[in-house]
Amino acid sequence: MSKFTEYIKGYWNGTGTLLVGLRTSMRVFLRKKVTEQYPENRHTTLHIPERHRATLEMVYDEEGHHHCIACGLCQMACPNGTIRVTSATKEDAEGKKKKYLVKYEYDLGSCMFCQLCVNACPHGAIRFSNHFENAVFEREKLLLTLSREGSVLAASGSK
Amino acid sequence: MNQAFLDYYSLEPLTGWIHRTLCGVMPEDWAVFLEGLVIGVVILLAYALLAVVLIYMERRVCGAFQCRIGPNRVGGRGGLLQVPADVLKILTKEIIRLKKSDHLLYELAPYLVILASVVSFSCLPWHKGAQVLDLEIGVFFVLAASSIGVLGILLAGWSSNSKYTLIGAVRSGAMIISYELSLGITVLTMVVLSGTMSISGIVESQAGGWNIFRGHIVAVVAFIIYLIAGNAEANRGPFDLAEAEQELTAGYHTEYSGMHFGFFYLAEYLNLFITAGIATTLFLGGWMPFHVAGLDGFNAVMDYIPGIVWFLGKTFFVVFLLMWIRWTFPRLRIDQVLTLEWKYLMPLSLLVMMVMTVFKVFGLVF
Amino acid sequence: MMEMEEKIKQWCPAGGLRVEESGERVLVVMADDLENVCRRLHDDTEEPMDYLRDLVGVDNGPETGTLSVFYQLESARTGRRLMLRCDTRGRDAEGALLPTVSGIWHTAEIKEREAWDLLGIRFVGHPDMRRLYLRENWNGHPLRKDYDMNSNVLDLEAETNADVTEEFDLMADGTLRGHENVVFNPDDFVVNIGPQHPSTHGVLRMRTALDGEMVKKIDPVLGYIHRGIEKMNERLTYPQTLALTDRLDYLSAHQNRHALCMCIEQAAGIEVSRRVQFIRTIMDELQRIDSHLLFYSCLAMDMGALTPFFYGFREREMILDIFEETTGGRLIQNYNVIGGVQADIHPGFVSSVKKFITHLRGIIHEYHEIFTGNVIARTRLQGVGVLSREDAISLGATGGTGRASGWANDVRKHHPYALYGEVDFREIVYTEGDSFARYMVRMDEIMESCHIIEQLIDNIPEGEFRVKVRPVLKLPEGVYTASVEASRGEFGVFLVSRGDKVPYRLHYRSTGLPLVHAMDTVCRGGKIADLIAIGGTLDFVIPDIDR
Repeated sequence: MSKFTEYIKGYWNGTGTLLVGLRTSMRVFLRKKVTEQYPENRHTTLHIPERHRATLEMVYDEEGHHHCIACGLCQMACPNGTIRVTSATKEDAEGKKKKYLVKYEYDLGSCMFCQLCVNACPHGAIRFSNHFENAVFEREKLLLTLSREGSVLAASGSK
Repeated sequence: MNQAFLDYYSLEPLTGWIHRTLCGVMPEDWAVFLEGLVIGVVILLAYALLAVVLIYMERRVCGAFQCRIGPNRVGGRGGLLQVPADVLKILTKEIIRLKKSDHLLYELAPYLVILASVVSFSCLPWHKGAQVLDLEIGVFFVLAASSIGVLGILLAGWSSNSKYTLIGAVRSGAMIISYELSLGITVLTMVVLSGTMSISGIVESQAGGWNIFRGHIVAVVAFIIYLIAGNAEANRGPFDLAEAEQELTAGYHTEYSGMHFGFFYLAEYLNLFITAGIATTLFLGGWMPFHVAGLDGFNAVMDYIPGIVWFLGKTFFVVFLLMWIRWTFPRLRIDQVLTLEWKYLMPLSLLVMMVMTVFKVFGLVF
Repeated sequence: MMEMEEKIKQWCPAGGLRVEESGERVLVVMADDLENVCRRLHDDTEEPMDYLRDLVGVDNGPETGTLSVFYQLESARTGRRLMLRCDTRGRDAEGALLPTVSGIWHTAEIKEREAWDLLGIRFVGHPDMRRLYLRENWNGHPLRKDYDMNSNVLDLEAETNADVTEEFDLMADGTLRGHENVVFNPDDFVVNIGPQHPSTHGVLRMRTALDGEMVKKIDPVLGYIHRGIEKMNERLTYPQTLALTDRLDYLSAHQNRHALCMCIEQAAGIEVSRRVQFIRTIMDELQRIDSHLLFYSCLAMDMGALTPFFYGFREREMILDIFEETTGGRLIQNYNVIGGVQADIHPGFVSSVKKFITHLRGIIHEYHEIFTGNVIARTRLQGVGVLSREDAISLGATGGTGRASGWANDVRKHHPYALYGEVDFREIVYTEGDSFARYMVRMDEIMESCHIIEQLIDNIPEGEFRVKVRPVLKLPEGVYTASVEASRGEFGVFLVSRGDKVPYRLHYRSTGLPLVHAMDTVCRGGKIADLIAIGGTLDFVIPDIDR
């Protein structure tokens, strides 16, 4: 007889749990949806935290000067060989030889956003920016030149 | 109860007039042929259109159950053109012929599946006097016709010459054949209550009240059993173990592409609709409007709503119920599916039929 | 410890026991004694060393002419840890031999295959000496120091897996004789589950022999996402190696990196501030909640319930938002660094974490209503895929899987690190060992993690978030290890330093490898649907297995 009562109980309990499940899913059905609608929400609800690492960029001050002394530490710190710093030397007014930045190349395609370059930089010349919409159709377009033509080292040297 | 509305409702005068007019301009054989052709095209069109509607509905409903919106890009904010776009896409896809498959059976299978579903689809009572196939043994015919589908599934699984499809097909065969039992028994229960097997007869017998109300709690239980078994027949979650995406990638139709896959997909949704439509016919009064005894004013208002609206409204309500179930429960395992049928549903449906017969014999139904 | 070593000494008649202590204490055993020592350690009545944490092969360099294998042992009863080392006689096919310990600890079956694959150490008596990650026709063994990086051309041909495998026996006269063992018979119905399959959670391939719906045998084929991280590590400076840990088990990114940082800090003698300890502990627990929510989602989806899947993701999204505010990343977070953390916590961190925990506590009942209580889910999980406690220990199935089988193995409890010694929390242990217990362990751990975070979140002390570390870090010579409780088991770091700025060998104990290996034991006799559910409850992450 106990087998039979177990059987009947199985019916009841089973049906009960199924109904509880249905109630929960109906509750969610009626609730506000959590979907974020991406391109539309660009200027409304889209929130990119300021620490988000999307692409490397150079820091420029108001006059358009950068802070890179072309020491190459970032290039050395990079595990992937993503950064290439081209530098040249010239003599300054006092006759001392000084390195200066010619070109700062960065391959977004092979960057793994480990932040080692930013950590290595002694002058805060580079940082990660929030511009995350970097999709392009050709890989060559991911080879970026971060230095600007005509930009020179800021007077203070560091920020 | 006043049953005058039944005459007001009927489309028979209209169809009769069309037939007579056609006979006036051509021989009767030609007229019948022409009518058959038109009806056939209408059915296929309705079939395709309903599939689109159902797929769209499924995606929206499923989205809402899953805390998300669902399609909302193609065709404005409602995403109304999403499914038509998908249909266009699937029409342009290549139908891949497998080298090592059994070509004849492989290509026959989707047509068998869709054939079964179109034939059963034709039996639905859309409106009074607007039923395409109305046989004396209508219910029996629907059961028989819908069973052809399982043959298609078995053939698809077998002829694809793939391990996944074979497992899916065997699962499906075992399941569908089992569930046909309780499905048949619950249908018989309603036949007992209505006293006829003709679909139009069953609907008309509910003029005084829908079967689900007439048959007390017994009819409600029968309704639930029918929904579960019907869901299994339509191969839909939580009984979708023949497809079982997470286990067999796509089960019996893994190897199909293009419109051949599309046929399986269409048939799945239409089978859902047919299951709901038959449930509506058997339990919810088909195209019968909702009446409350004693409230004549209310009843009169209800009568103004055309039968097809009633039918579609009720059917879509049942479809929604089935979707609700699908998007809530995990999938059953094959042994659980069979346990559920043989240990729980079948005994219960037999009991339900017995009780219903006793009620009917002693006149205990409304 | 001393009496233990005394005991071991007696078991080594052939060559005696040598103790090396630079970094960790290592007991060096001769190859002839290895089997005896291991067997006796395992069968010891007072303190059985029944859990082989890891088996790591190291190349000692062509100049020494030997290869070594490190055996990291632990007693499940007392928690005592022990490290053995055994050197091969030579490096060539005749010399690179060691007796197998796979008969003693089952987890060695797969780990010895890894050592064979990557270092070319042949284990005599091992029943299945196939490669583990690399192709069967691969030339050479990449973790050898003299491996030629150009010795293998890119081969895009489909690989046919052999149905037989080799076993080597050492004859009395010192020669090797091989014989073949059968993996699958010609009349087995072998189905490929994976590598591209909806529920293998990545590119895992399981060759599964079926009898109808029943699973007869599973043979995992790994290496589809093998990136050679351990080889890469040998060329990267210590700060650079950190960049790869997040890419192992991406759902334990914080814990993995925590372990590596701990290991390096311990080797370099760096003390981190208390504030850092707080932040690391909180982050580890948030990560655990994150991982377990994903576990819930994926398990529900594997079982065909797609709606609960989104419930888990709904809440996980909030954790990711919290992570992103502070660390700048959602999956790859780069947060722990040597000597501290990358950046101080975001000003809104404390309040958003508190808000999240309140929210989670208020909504977790929905998870249980829709899935845990559901009769279908229960009957599919309860009593299915039972893993006994002995098997769990022998297979090294740590984490929630082991705890569901009654093996209390929480590293946080038994070998506390960071702040785990100070907070109050319960170690969730179930004894059933079935899929449902594995599921419940994780669900309960979500609440325990909330409990841990609640104790810490209001008390984060002021202090430095990072101590200054020399940019070029050189670790003193020696062997260093660290282990943490990652989201799905014990994650270990094994580091051999030769005093350079790059590690000589840096090995990670994969949390998922023993779990995948356990699939065969757990799934046998179950159905295909059970296989999927068991895979879901074992909860492995493939990049961590392949490394």
